[in-house]
Amino acid sequence: MDMQIFGLLMQDGIASGAVYALLALALVMVFTVTRIVFVPQGEFVSYSVLTIAAVQQGHAPGLVWPVAGGALLATGMELAERIRQRNPAGLASRLLVLFIAPLAACAFARFGIDANSAYALQALAAVLLVTAMGPLIHRITFRPLDSASPLVLLVAAIALHFVLVGLGLYFFGPEGSRLPQQEWSVPLLASLSIAPQTLMVVLASLALVAVFFAFFGHTLSGKALRATAVCRDGAQLVGISPDRSGELALGIAAFIGAVSGVLIGPVTTIYYDSGFLLALKGFVGAIVGGLAGYVLAAAGSLAVGLLEAFASYGASAAKEIIVFALIVPLLVWRSMVDPHAGEVE
Amino acid sequence: MIQNKSFHSALALLLALAMGPAAADINVGVVISATGPAASVGSTQQRTVPILPTQVGGEKINYLLLDDASDTSTTVKNVRKLLSESKIDLLMGPSLTPNSLAVLDLLAETGTPMISLAGSGAIVEPMDAKKKWAFKTPQSDTHMATAIIKHMADNNVKTVAFIGFNDAYGEGWWREFSKLAELRKIQVVANERYTRTDTSVAGQVLKLVAAKPDAVFIAASGTPAVLPQATLADRGYRGKVYQTHGVANNDFLRVGGAKLDGTFVPAGPVLVAEQLPNDHPAKKPSLEFIRKYEALPDAGRRSTFAAYLWDASLILQDAAPQALKKARPGTPEFRLALRDAIEGTKDLHATNGVYNIGPDDHIGLDQRSRVMVRIDKGEWKYIP
Amino acid sequence: MKLSCFAPALVAAAAVAAVALLASSYYLTLASFILLYALVVLGLVLMTGFTGLISFGQAAFVGIGAYAAGYLAAVHGVPAWLTLLASLSLAVLCAAFIGALTLSMGGHYLSLATLAWGVVVYYGLGLIAPLGGFNGLSGIPPLQLFGVSFASERSMFVLIALCFMLAFRLMRNLLDSRMGRAVRAIRAGAVLPEAFGASAFRLKIAVFCTAAGLAALAGWLYVYMQRFINPTPFGLHMSIEYLFMAVIGGVGSLGGALAGAAVVVVLKQVLQDVLPTLLGRTGNFEMVVFGALMLGVLARANTGLWPFVARFVHRKTAKPVVIDAPADAVAALAHGRPLGVVGATLLQVDGVMKKFGGLVAVDRMSFHVSTGEIVALLGPNGAGKSTMFNLITGVLPASRGEISFKGQRIDGRSARQIAERGVARTFQHVKLVGDMTVLDNAALGCHLLGRNGWFRAMAGFNGREERAIRAMAMEQLRRCGLDELASMPAASLPLGKQRILEIARALCARPQLLLLDEPAAGLRHKEKQELAGLMKLLRAEGVTVLIVDHDMEFIMNIADRLVVMQFGQKIAEGSAETVRRDPRVQQAYLGVGVA
Repeated sequence: MDMQIFGLLMQDGIASGAVYALLALALVMVFTVTRIVFVPQGEFVSYSVLTIAAVQQGHAPGLVWPVAGGALLATGMELAERIRQRNPAGLASRLLVLFIAPLAACAFARFGIDANSAYALQALAAVLLVTAMGPLIHRITFRPLDSASPLVLLVAAIALHFVLVGLGLYFFGPEGSRLPQQEWSVPLLASLSIAPQTLMVVLASLALVAVFFAFFGHTLSGKALRATAVCRDGAQLVGISPDRSGELALGIAAFIGAVSGVLIGPVTTIYYDSGFLLALKGFVGAIVGGLAGYVLAAAGSLAVGLLEAFASYGASAAKEIIVFALIVPLLVWRSMVDPHAGEVE
Repeated sequence: MIQNKSFHSALALLLALAMGPAAADINVGVVISATGPAASVGSTQQRTVPILPTQVGGEKINYLLLDDASDTSTTVKNVRKLLSESKIDLLMGPSLTPNSLAVLDLLAETGTPMISLAGSGAIVEPMDAKKKWAFKTPQSDTHMATAIIKHMADNNVKTVAFIGFNDAYGEGWWREFSKLAELRKIQVVANERYTRTDTSVAGQVLKLVAAKPDAVFIAASGTPAVLPQATLADRGYRGKVYQTHGVANNDFLRVGGAKLDGTFVPAGPVLVAEQLPNDHPAKKPSLEFIRKYEALPDAGRRSTFAAYLWDASLILQDAAPQALKKARPGTPEFRLALRDAIEGTKDLHATNGVYNIGPDDHIGLDQRSRVMVRIDKGEWKYIP
Repeated sequence: MKLSCFAPALVAAAAVAAVALLASSYYLTLASFILLYALVVLGLVLMTGFTGLISFGQAAFVGIGAYAAGYLAAVHGVPAWLTLLASLSLAVLCAAFIGALTLSMGGHYLSLATLAWGVVVYYGLGLIAPLGGFNGLSGIPPLQLFGVSFASERSMFVLIALCFMLAFRLMRNLLDSRMGRAVRAIRAGAVLPEAFGASAFRLKIAVFCTAAGLAALAGWLYVYMQRFINPTPFGLHMSIEYLFMAVIGGVGSLGGALAGAAVVVVLKQVLQDVLPTLLGRTGNFEMVVFGALMLGVLARANTGLWPFVARFVHRKTAKPVVIDAPADAVAALAHGRPLGVVGATLLQVDGVMKKFGGLVAVDRMSFHVSTGEIVALLGPNGAGKSTMFNLITGVLPASRGEISFKGQRIDGRSARQIAERGVARTFQHVKLVGDMTVLDNAALGCHLLGRNGWFRAMAGFNGREERAIRAMAMEQLRRCGLDELASMPAASLPLGKQRILEIARALCARPQLLLLDEPAAGLRHKEKQELAGLMKLLRAEGVTVLIVDHDMEFIMNIADRLVVMQFGQKIAEGSAETVRRDPRVQQAYLGVGVA
């Protein structure tokens, strides 16, 4: 292995690692706010890419149907509960989030863009559509489970993953798609031979780490969100709504997933079931961070990406074995350094 | 005398009616992988079922379709269900090799013939008591590998690098390809693997390119086969690239775009049916299949995997009348007779060539079942 | 023995016989798969439901068991009983190895480690060529055991059913034993079993290995049933399915394993049949509908489906518990644990210091407790009482100083070792296993008195000792006034009674020194009176007690001697009167010098 190959592998590893980091950060964020290990995070990525691809191929984006359906279901559930409780307070904002916003996103995706629209517009439509899914998912799936143990929440997330993958297969078909590569002329980068796409992904990850670290660690609202996961009742008593927090968290996660899709779509082929493996590797990174630390989660994801890149050069048939076998000593080291971080409450 | 004659004919007619096979439907089980990792293969086959012929020799054919989600345990459950609850006379499928191997015992136990839609020759060779019930329509990997190796040898390829799926498909291809390459004195300079869902194969491709091969052979199927080739193109590789017949669908062309130009693919004749010479035996059946398949809603362009299922139905059309003469559908005797009839298929023109099945050759295809195709500006171009 | 004891077994046997005789090939296969999965999930319920460890790697153990048997039988013609041994040993060895590496980690790390392990095994199986690779290994001969051939589906089904029922029985025995109680205690926190002499780490490894053994057994049966093997049924997706089945069925009970496996398998088959007719063949909606239905189940019944079923089978009433145990067995338990000579020094604390970084929590504390006394350690909040307590019980190591018990040094020793010497404690935040009965919670205290290990417990050879332990526990409950509630789940008791239960549990250990950590915290007046009454009773019987608390009135009532702490130091010691009048104590509590 010479220096050039080493450099290329490093770059590849960092690029993959940055993608996993985006997923890991979203996973950690959702977990710290809701105690849910959000297995379907990868589906946000694949949905976003495949929706854009569908539009570019001249099909109507099939995703609008489940989103519209979900909006109706969530609104129905919310109204039923309000009627039962005879509590009309704040109904307008609920309807905005659960009904108006998703349907507007659907309308935009269905009628506002087509195969000839500007790429940026197509991407925007897909991102809006996928982001709208976040709060809907929380309302429909996790709100009825608000008193469940983390294990049940995990299994519910798995069940949700089955639903989303199944819908993905139906709406997007079994074949994958890529997004067109954006040719940006960045002379500095050309001489460094780094693909602009790679740089975007890495910058996005770094930015996200910084934002999350600052927000959750050092702002009042961020800490408030963390508080809801630790003690729901306590949070409610001081005026923080655990459900609103959950919806916000999933909405942000969906946004991150959608944007990740736009970033990595041009670099690799995405399938209806690509999401799971991406989320799995993000999960590994997140666990290295103890499901609590953003910087460590990003670092862990980076480690996974690099391991993968070098293992695929060294012994590609055993790549998975090498990567996952090396996770274990990493975990042992982490648990010795920080024994309580891994505890499930 | 007239009276005797009419009495005799009446008696004969009565006896014929009494002893001939009574009206009973032929039940055909179709087990394919419409979901799971092999969804791109099985979903085309699932789509084909409605256009399969529903009548043969005066009997109605019922197709009972089940999806095994690419998992062998599910295949076993499904086949058991079809055998014991639905009493199928014939099994078409499964789509995948390990799944086909998993049900050999079941079929031998109940004496039910299977026409598998999977690639590996190991399903039907070497012939033994169990495999005598197993047939298959796809060309075996060996068959296609021979075409590739021959093309390589004819085109002065001395060194080749191999990259394939890290699963049964890639593993099967490696076995065949490495054997044949050695025979033809072509040196294999690299042997890499990747998984279907990998987002990057940079490491593998770097290794391949570093070995400076004359050609690269990619043993993958469906759109995931684009990834290594696109990466090779990005790395500036200028040698020949060969793919397997598993990529013979239009989504592969769509996703790969311009980076695929110049790729050599061995394929069943159905892929380039219009370009075949008129005397090619596969041309007519292929065109008919294509017409029917492309008329289905959302089917897209032709699929060679779906064509395997179509060929299986053609074999059934050919063999059923003989079996019907011997026994009624739904009986073990019929299944045995059907098996024998399938084994005796001679000179059947189908989309994948000409089938001449015999006791030692349960595939029955020959040179006419494969053509070499080149991808040219996003289209399949037949190489005569 | 009442007939009702045998009823479930009879029903099960009848069901098995019915299916074996009447069902068609397809239903036999389904039933076989259900029981195979249930076997694996049984281990998962033990791990996750009862011990609190989430594993994503059970399918890998099934794979190991299956491949060990398949390879040996197909390639080397090894007889079936030997392949069974190979499967079980290999799986248990791997589990012991993985467990030793990872079980000291907390929840998430363990789950990820099991997941990593699962992926490694799956790809490893595909990579090892002699095992047939991804294309699989066929030619596995039918099962022949002791001359009986299990080649037919029916016979295989009966064997699988027998194995499942046996495994169920073994697990039931295990959970109802001394080891089972210790395992279940882990969920309340590793510190709980440690406080009563059980090593949480070793218990976790034992559970992990047992679950692996069950999975390997399922793999062994699977390979002889299918006679073909390839890696796909042993991948991560299957491990996830097993976890799924466990939670849907209900991780809290063994019956949940069967319920979960049955529901998932049957539902998938039903969907496969019904959906195409309902929704047409345009798409494959089984996965979507399945996921949606499971979400519905979880929303309605998030402890799983089995508790619904169980409600029809059992009814939880406070029925009186009758225990029939030979007196000599009970006496044998208590043997070797005399209460000691009254007046001798039992516990000696000398110049003990504890620093947390720059903070000195305990500063040169010295005091002693004599046999037969009730000594109270008092002080305002933040005085360092709980830290002192944790130092004595071995939860924290002291920075400096000596603590001796019965003349032997105990500082620096683990909680387990201290418990073994005759010290028992309660916890500031009640640590009871909520879904275990009051009697079982108390019986946990007897852990060190018993001797039956893991295997004897599973086999059920521990009857005599079990009855003795339960009799002992019952006696302590009676002493504490809880005997009426013996068969209620501990979570259903009010806090006051829970605290008394903790004391009963501690008494079961026949301790020479009883350490009570804030026993009166959160109690109502009447409950405090009951507690005080119990304390006086214990003193009359010669039990030595060290109480940590900050409720002055409660302590004044019952303590012989008080030791008052402030800012980690001892500021006063003596009788209740002496201490009450001590100006430094008044200042500590009231903040103002009182004349």
